[in-house]
Amino acid sequence: MNSGVLDTLQRGVEEETYYLNMGPQHPSMHGVLRLLLHMRGEMVLECEPIIGYAHRAHEKMAENRSYIQFLPNTSRIDYLSGMIYNIAFCQAIEKMAGIDVPERAEVIRVIVCELNRIQSHLLWFGTFLLDIGGITPFLYCFDDREEILGILDRVSGSRLTYSYGRFGGVTADIDDVFISQTRSFLDRLRGRLPMYEGLVTKNVIFRDRCKGVGVITVDQARAYGVTGPVLRASGVAYDVRKAEPYGVYDRYDFEIPTRTSGDCLARYEVRVAEMEQSCRIIEQALDALPEGAIEPAKMVKKVKSAAGEYYFAVESARGHFGMYIVSDGTDVASRIKLRTPSFSVMSAAPDVLKGTMIADVIAIVGSVDVVLPEIDR
Amino acid sequence: MLPTAGLDLSGLTSSSVDSDYAVDGFHHRHTVESGRIVEIARAFCDGGYHLEMMTCEDRRADLEAMRLVYTFGRFDLVDRHLVFVDLVPEIPGAEAPSMTGVFPAADWYEREVYDMYGVRFSGHPDLKRILLPDDADFHALLKDFGRIEDAPEEESGERDEGQGA
Amino acid sequence: MPRTLLDIFPNPLIAVGIGITAVMTVLSVNTLFCIWFERKVSAWIQLRMGPMEVGFHGTMQTVADMVKLLGKQLVTPKGIDKPLYHLAPIVVFAPVVAAASLMPFSESVAITNTNIGLVLVFMFGGFASIGIFMGGWGSNNKYALLGAMRSVAQNISYEIPLILSSLSVVLLVGAMGREFAVDGGVIQANGMNLAHITGVQAQRGVWFLLLQPLAFIIFFIAVLAETNRAPFDIPEAESELIAGFHTEYSGMRFGLFFFAEFSNMFIGAMVATILFLGGWDGPVLPGPAWFFLKTYFLVFCMMWIRWTYPRLRFDQLMTFAWGILVPLSILNLLITAFLVKVF
Repeated sequence: MNSGVLDTLQRGVEEETYYLNMGPQHPSMHGVLRLLLHMRGEMVLECEPIIGYAHRAHEKMAENRSYIQFLPNTSRIDYLSGMIYNIAFCQAIEKMAGIDVPERAEVIRVIVCELNRIQSHLLWFGTFLLDIGGITPFLYCFDDREEILGILDRVSGSRLTYSYGRFGGVTADIDDVFISQTRSFLDRLRGRLPMYEGLVTKNVIFRDRCKGVGVITVDQARAYGVTGPVLRASGVAYDVRKAEPYGVYDRYDFEIPTRTSGDCLARYEVRVAEMEQSCRIIEQALDALPEGAIEPAKMVKKVKSAAGEYYFAVESARGHFGMYIVSDGTDVASRIKLRTPSFSVMSAAPDVLKGTMIADVIAIVGSVDVVLPEIDR
Repeated sequence: MLPTAGLDLSGLTSSSVDSDYAVDGFHHRHTVESGRIVEIARAFCDGGYHLEMMTCEDRRADLEAMRLVYTFGRFDLVDRHLVFVDLVPEIPGAEAPSMTGVFPAADWYEREVYDMYGVRFSGHPDLKRILLPDDADFHALLKDFGRIEDAPEEESGERDEGQGA
Repeated sequence: MPRTLLDIFPNPLIAVGIGITAVMTVLSVNTLFCIWFERKVSAWIQLRMGPMEVGFHGTMQTVADMVKLLGKQLVTPKGIDKPLYHLAPIVVFAPVVAAASLMPFSESVAITNTNIGLVLVFMFGGFASIGIFMGGWGSNNKYALLGAMRSVAQNISYEIPLILSSLSVVLLVGAMGREFAVDGGVIQANGMNLAHITGVQAQRGVWFLLLQPLAFIIFFIAVLAETNRAPFDIPEAESELIAGFHTEYSGMRFGLFFFAEFSNMFIGAMVATILFLGGWDGPVLPGPAWFFLKTYFLVFCMMWIRWTYPRLRFDQLMTFAWGILVPLSILNLLITAFLVKVF
């Protein structure tokens, strides 16, 4: 074969690429993620995530309203960890302004936050399986998740965007019904997890689809600031609840599940194990629920804080959620920067998705569990 | 206690002070000249840190500067460094070297800062808007953009009519 | 041996007319039933109720859906390859009707009875991938094209184990089958004749499922892949390719693809019933009842599998076909041939 023909063939190969615009409207782009994929056949050569379709200017709003007015915004940043974000903002303000929180409120916060985490993981579980083609687990998970939503709805008044926290406490006390509902939910979930194990974890097709797919190494995770279950699946036992215990998390005995392979299967296993750990935390919290007030005697309407920079981090269902608050001493923040875990994970996407197949793209995006409104804020 | 395990910032910062973690969540605060950004990023990277967050503040009113804010943290121990970089208070005009060569995470953070504040980053591989539309002609988080007081009062009567129909 | 319509009605025009009417009726009713059945099966697996509103337990739901599909606007996208785009649903749909007319569902009457029935079924099955590729290519949509490419690769790959595994049955028929009395004469059993295959099983009182279990499993898996059913539904993988090759089809055009999919399932189950489950053979109940009972049991198994398993990836799918199914079916065929020769 002479070189001319070879050249033609070579060029032909190079020309056999195309761009595939995946999203923002696509069944498994988790909201409004748009991936611009440069493809050859089924292989992804390059990937560019295009974000911003759900930008709601939360950070600008934070500069325009008082802290208490910004409170409802916080549970809308990540609609799946609404409770965690909401409580986190309260805790950040309490730390900044030196507001004391009654014992009982702290424990209630832990319970509702962990319920919220389980709820988020359950939703992820279902949608991840949906992404790789298993439809039935989705409905099982939503059945379980529905119970949590009902429990939280009863105590906070809403199912998703809670605004349950107040500076110095929580809005409503929990009662015996809440406690018995929560306990029966924990029993139910524990009874269901073996079923999921049999239906999903041991499924050959599922394991084949996930094993070795979308590996994120520790170095990549550090370079991109990836945190949460994705980081833990790569082998780093980093959990803000342990590293910088906030609230009363230091009281509870729980483990940080980790895996070392960093692939989709590892991320799956970490999250399933985390649900069990959250159950343990809730149980301990329920067992040692102190009596007392749930709010400070005097309601905090105006936040007084010294001018300066503050940082407060919590472990959301997706990882390290940080709030960088610049106070100028007034009741309105000069700047609030929301450091969201999904943003960091998504910024690693071009690196991770390169050279995978189109079906893997779906599996990987599903397995890292991004929430788009959180990325776009 | 500076420097922390494996971290050598000597000579890179203009000022370094310890901070009270219990109050504000930082262990150390540094001020750095904009020309030193890449060096300091390299030092943190070699020391085992990651870029936890990066953002900007519009401090033209009080400090007469556009202030870049970087925080670096570790996965294995709690040690959070806050780094300020003050830039000239002009938009457009403020410019800083890009950290993308050291921390790929800076790629999107810098794009966001450019998007929201108009600060340019030299050496960034693809500096373009990230959250706002590509054709936006404003930088939304600048203090002189879009305060609520500036917004025109909505005439409620007209709106009601429109919705009632 | 079953009498065909041509035997009953000497006029070919009347015979063809009655045949087409019968097949279309059966297929339409089957599709309506299968869609309802699939919803109910999935609901049962997922602890739901499924359709409950229209008719008794939602039985009329699919009728209402069909009316809706008929009334829907046919959206024609820009930049399509018009002939291909418009022909595709018909090319997918027509072979299904032809294939369905070959099935001997009873020992007394069949629509047609030909000595190359098995070959024809596979041939009509092969048509579908042409139609799917036409639709995918003509739609001017990359997702559709990807789905079409996957579909063609998949259908061609899985046709091989499909045919190889059924060949072992053909060998058995040739070896075991004897003679059938037809119109006073006697003919030799033909391995390619669907009625003969069933007839041999009925005569001998043994279903080929017992003699060829491996071939049955391979055949069933290949049928799943040929009909684009989960876990092999990658040509239309809704979480990856929106709707694959029929992304750009709406209204009744989409309805035809849908119709063809369910009919293909039905036909696949019927062929499996004929080859391995003894077709009309069974005690007490009349032949057709047994035939459809077995067929719908297999259809139910397909649904059961669909609602249990996640989807394979494209390369895994191909590896499974070429690395596992094809060697296994060749091995099975060789062993069968050897045993047939020896005994």
